[in-house]
Formats: sequence, C-alpha cells, structure tokens
Amino acid sequence: MAIDISRYKGTAADVPISTQRSLWQDAWRRLIFSNTARIGMFIVATFVLSAVFAHFFWTYNPAIDLDYTLKLKPPNLVTTEEIPSIHLFGTDKLGRDIFTRVVHGGWNSLRVGIVAVGISLIIGGLLGLLAGFYENSLLTPNERIFLMGLFGLALGVLPSWIAYQPLQMFLFGALGVLSAMYGGFLEGSKIRVLIFAVAGLLIGAVPSFWVGPMVALICGILGMGIGAFLASPVGGQLFSNIVMRLMDIILTFPGYLLAIAIVAFLGPGLDKGMIAIGIVGIPVYARLARSAVLSVYPKEYNIASLALGASHGRVIFRHIVPNILSPIIVQTTMGLASAILSAAALGFLGLGAIPPEPEWGAMLGDSYRYLTSGAWWAVLFPGLAIMLSVLGFNLLGDGLRDALDPKLRT
Amino acid sequence: MTRYIIRRLISLIPTLLGITFVVFMFQRMIPGDPAVAMLGEHATEENVARIREQFGLNRPAFLDREALANGDLKGFFDSQYFRYLGRLFKLDLGDSIHRRIPVAETLALRFPATIELAMLALLLSMIIGVPVGIISASRRNSLLDGVTMIGSLVGVSMPIFWLGLMEIMLFAVFLKWLPAGGRLDSGIKVEAITNLILIDSLIRGNMPAFVDALQHILMPALALATIPTAIIARMTRSSMLDVLQEDYVRTAKAKGLRERVVLLKHALRNALLPVVTIIGIQAGTLLSGAVLTETIFAWPGIGKWVYDSILARDYPIVQGATLLIAVIFLLANLLVDLSYAVLDPRIRYE
Repeated sequence: MAIDISRYKGTAADVPISTQRSLWQDAWRRLIFSNTARIGMFIVATFVLSAVFAHFFWTYNPAIDLDYTLKLKPPNLVTTEEIPSIHLFGTDKLGRDIFTRVVHGGWNSLRVGIVAVGISLIIGGLLGLLAGFYENSLLTPNERIFLMGLFGLALGVLPSWIAYQPLQMFLFGALGVLSAMYGGFLEGSKIRVLIFAVAGLLIGAVPSFWVGPMVALICGILGMGIGAFLASPVGGQLFSNIVMRLMDIILTFPGYLLAIAIVAFLGPGLDKGMIAIGIVGIPVYARLARSAVLSVYPKEYNIASLALGASHGRVIFRHIVPNILSPIIVQTTMGLASAILSAAALGFLGLGAIPPEPEWGAMLGDSYRYLTSGAWWAVLFPGLAIMLSVLGFNLLGDGLRDALDPKLRT
Repeated sequence: MTRYIIRRLISLIPTLLGITFVVFMFQRMIPGDPAVAMLGEHATEENVARIREQFGLNRPAFLDREALANGDLKGFFDSQYFRYLGRLFKLDLGDSIHRRIPVAETLALRFPATIELAMLALLLSMIIGVPVGIISASRRNSLLDGVTMIGSLVGVSMPIFWLGLMEIMLFAVFLKWLPAGGRLDSGIKVEAITNLILIDSLIRGNMPAFVDALQHILMPALALATIPTAIIARMTRSSMLDVLQEDYVRTAKAKGLRERVVLLKHALRNALLPVVTIIGIQAGTLLSGAVLTETIFAWPGIGKWVYDSILARDYPIVQGATLLIAVIFLLANLLVDLSYAVLDPRIRYE
C-alpha cells in the first residue's frame, strides 16, 4: 500500500516503515497461522513435555513395578475396595499402571526417533551434499589429490590383503596422488595409461614375489588394472555415482525388514534399534540433499561466489546449505514420525526395548495376547500414543512445508 | 523397447551382486558358530568339524589368500561367498538350519500367501486412493477435501500392527463377524493350482472356500492397505491439482466438455505418472509391512516366517527371503519405469 507522504508534516525519518521480516520470520508467521501446524505443534509439545517432565521429575522404577492382585484391570475413575488405586488407562498383565508406563514410554520412543533421525540426517545429508556438489563442480587441485589418493588406497586394499603386504596399499595411494599432481603430463595419450599400468603392475607384483609366484601374478594383474584406472584423474562424478549406487542398494531392502535384520544381528536393545532405524533412513536424506543441491547449484549466487574465489567449503556451507534447508527441515520432521513408527514396530516384535523398560511398541507386544480375553485397554492406549505422536509430527511437517515453501502449497 | 528392457535387466546385475554381498555379510556378522547352533552346545568336536566341512563353513569368507600363496589358483576362489553365489545360480538357497528342508521349497509354498495379501492390499489402496484423490482435487478446499486430507494424514501415521489389533478386537472379539487369524478354516481344503487361495477356489468353483478365504484375508488386507491408500490419495490429489491448472484443462472446460470427461480423460491421464511411481514404491512398503501384519493375523506367508526365523536364528531362511523380496522390489521398479511409456506416449525407451 502506497503511503501518502504529503500528509506528514515531519521529515522522512518520521514516515512509518512497515516492519521488515526476514525469510525465517516470515515462514514462522505462516507456520503459526496455519491450523494444521498449530495442532501438530500442540500434540508434539504435549508429548515432548510430558516425556521430559516424567523422565526428570517423576521417578519410576520399572524393575520393581508389579502387583499381581491388580492384574489386567480395566480403567477406573473411582477407587473401590477391590481396586484401591485409580488407573486411568487400566493395568497390564503384571498389574502395572498403563498410564504411568505410557507417559514414561514416551521418553524412550521419542528418544529413539530423535537419535535415529539424527544418524540418518547427519550421514545421509552430508553424503548427499557432497555428492550433489561435486557431481557438477570441478575439483580443486588439492581435492583431486585427496580423492585420487583415497581411490588408490581403497583399490589397493584388495591386492595388499591378498599378498599380506600393507605397504602396497599406500604405494597405490601414492600412485593416485602422483596421477592427480601431474594430471597434465601426456594428458589423454595411451602412453600415459601404459606408464601407469606398468607402475601398477610393478607395485602389485614385485612385493608379492616373496609370498609366491601365483600371488605375484594375481596382484600384478590387479595392480595393472588399478594403475590404468588411476591414469586418468577422475572428477567428482565418479564419487557421486559410487555414493548414490550404494544408497540404491540400501533402498532395495524394504525398510522394516532391513531394520529387523540389523537389530537381529546386533542384538535387541533401544540403542541398537536407534542405529538400525538410522541406517535404514540414510538413503532418504542422501537422495533428498543431492537433488536439492543439484537444483540450487546453478543459481547465480553460487557462480558469483565461486568466481570471486570462495573456497568450496565456504560455498557449500554458506550458500548452498542455507538454501536447501527447507526441504530438509520438512523431511526431518516427517522422518521423526516414521522413525517413531519404526521404533514402535521393532518394539512390538520384541526387538526394541528390553522388557521391564516401558516403550509403546513393546507394551503393545506384551499385551496383545490378552486381547482375545477382552483386555482392550492394554492395547488401545499405547497404540493411541504411537498414533497421536506420529500424527503430531506429520501435521507439523505438513504445516512446515506450506510455511517454508509457499510455491509448493497444494 | 525390448532392447531397453534387456539393458535394464543387465544393469540390475551389479545391484543384485551388491545385495547378495550385503545378505551374505549379515550371516558373517552373527556371533557364534552356525555348526554349533545346528548341533547344540554338547556336540562332539568331530561332529562339529564334519558339519563345518559339509556346509563349507571351514572355508574363508571371500577369498582364500593362503591357497594362492601355495600356488593354488582354484582354491583361491573356493570361498563361502563364491560357493554361495554358485548355489544361487542353481537357485539353491540352502537348507533351513533347524528343519533341514530346502529354503527354496518352503519359499515357493509360502510366498503365494504373501503375494495374495500384498496384491489385494495394493488393489484396495488403488481402488480407494485414486478416486478419493481425484474427487478431493476437483472439490479443492471443500469439506470433503478437508476430511480426506486429515484422513490421509491419520492413515500415514497409523501403526498398522495396532490397527490390525483394533480390527481383531472389534470384528473378531466383540462382534465375532470375522475370524481372528489364519488363511482358511481348518475344515476347508482347496486343491492347489497357483497357491493363491482366492483364485484357486474360483477356478475350482468352490464357493464356500472362496467366501471363507475372503473372510480371512479381509482384515489383514485392510490393515496392510491403510498406509498405501493414504499415500496414493495424497499423491493423486496433489498431482491432479498441478494438472488442473494447465492450459489444456482450461481449454477442455471452455469447449463445454462435461466435468467428468475433463477430469478423467484430460487431467487424470496426465496426472498419473507420479501416482504410478508412488504405487511402485509401495511394493516395498507392502512386503515389509507384511512382516507385521502376518505376525498379528497368523498369516502363513514369508513375513511371519522370516520373523520367526530371525528369532530362531535360522539364517538361510532370512537370507533367501530377503534376497527374494529385494529382487521383487527391483523388478517392481523396472515395471514402473516401463509403464511410463504406456501412460505417456511421449516417453520412448530406446
């Protein structure tokens, strides 16, 4: 709205200026004016606060909590002679108050979700960030030396293991470094490939002769291949390809099954559940971060910054990361919801929290056998807690998406 | 097209090798000796050695560098992993440790049950999800749209094992309308053709068996379909909303075409690509969700079997079933890519 300055008698400084809002303040305003987000925030806050307060201010020892006289009692609001205490949600098979355990279980369930998402976000996000950035940008000489050294070292592991010669690995690493340092030497000619192949052959075969002629033969062939590969300094494209191919392999294992398998091999327990769910989530964040980087990478501010000679690290963390933050924040919120769901599923299958410890999924798994005898309360309330907390994070994520990216609003 | 399919199938090979590697690694990570697990704690050392020899457990995991040092090139590749790969080529998934039955045999018997459940759930979620998404998009911001959006958010947030339990409580315990678990009443027999009981009983004309099978599959299929339905409905809605803003939709409306024709012939077909993608992704969700659903409903498919085997530490079963599920997932994704060309004639695969 235009301001009619003529009406003001004072100087320009007296003209009221509409208050400025930063991008984030603007998003925050949109967030608190959206009903979905408000309901989501309310639910999330309720669960988080109750879990935190219960954990710190409401002592509960699951190990000594049992009372066989009160086994599987339905919820009651008044005390009777038979049931001398009030159980809002009833009691379970050991006579434990379900309300207490649901509130305390929140601490475990939310913690698993947060740590698991933290694992997938940090590892997946970083991998995706680097893969997306280096897929298109030229490596600086130092980065190229580092990458080629790494490739040489990694490829050298196999022959050096076969020949019991750890030294070989480092020689191959050095070959990679050399190739990166003298990238222009006979560039593109077959002689260069030949020189490196011969060098690889020597590195592979010579130290292996002490072990046996057959070993020397195999290591020589391997070394020749590695040398030929190292001859042409690779760009970030290869790194990106390798990372994304690995992510694809993790993604082919259906979520729960992979988490169950990982926990089965690590042994049950909340901490192992966190790791398992975290690993399963890595590809999601890697793919998201990579595609987000690919979309903001060609923007003028990045090109300008690179042209001004800013280091890659500065461009990544000062220019790219702030601009891909919105989809990542949304995904993290939604990811919390699905991590809580997966944690509950693991707990339900007996692969999460170790018994007396309260956890929503494990509480369901403990009580569902009593459903046929009519003990609905032991199943209803923990499940409701799972569903509501997951719903809360999903609502919040939905609201965040609308708030952070108005263009996406559908 | 054929060349494209062949090329895609070839490009699956490295991924498949990676998967076999991961699956094999899992087995190696288990603490303890499988031979001891097979024979029990009190087995004699000779017996353990014999079993280790028989199953190749005395071989190194990947490559035998000692054999190579002695000049034995063949022995170099004679490792557990390469033997495992060799067996895989012959479709031999090994024997169950506890029951000594070939894994492939049991897999062939149990897999149809999971497929039947997953396919019905997928069908249900498409039949419900796509129309709901279309209607919701065409009546944007109406009450119906709001209800759909909230409903789909609740659906996505649903722990399906809990929903399954609630279904059992309501329909099996209180109302006694439906059986609580299993695939078929013990008194009813259907001669197997495809091992998909619904289809088998129809082919045989065995109506009582068909009805009974339907009653058994209804609750697990509904529970399993919840999350896919919600996701498909949301995706259909947002994809339709995008398409409805296009010029050709406005043109079609301006020509005076009926709304139904505009929605179904002009908009839907163009909105279907992302929906099909998301349906393909659900294949994985359904197969892994089957582990939970089958456990609750005592459904004799691979999900429950894998879960039982994990608890019983019967690893050949876990490996075989995981491999099968991963392969199915890969093929489902290939199928999705191919269906793009059918849906959108502008997409051609060379």
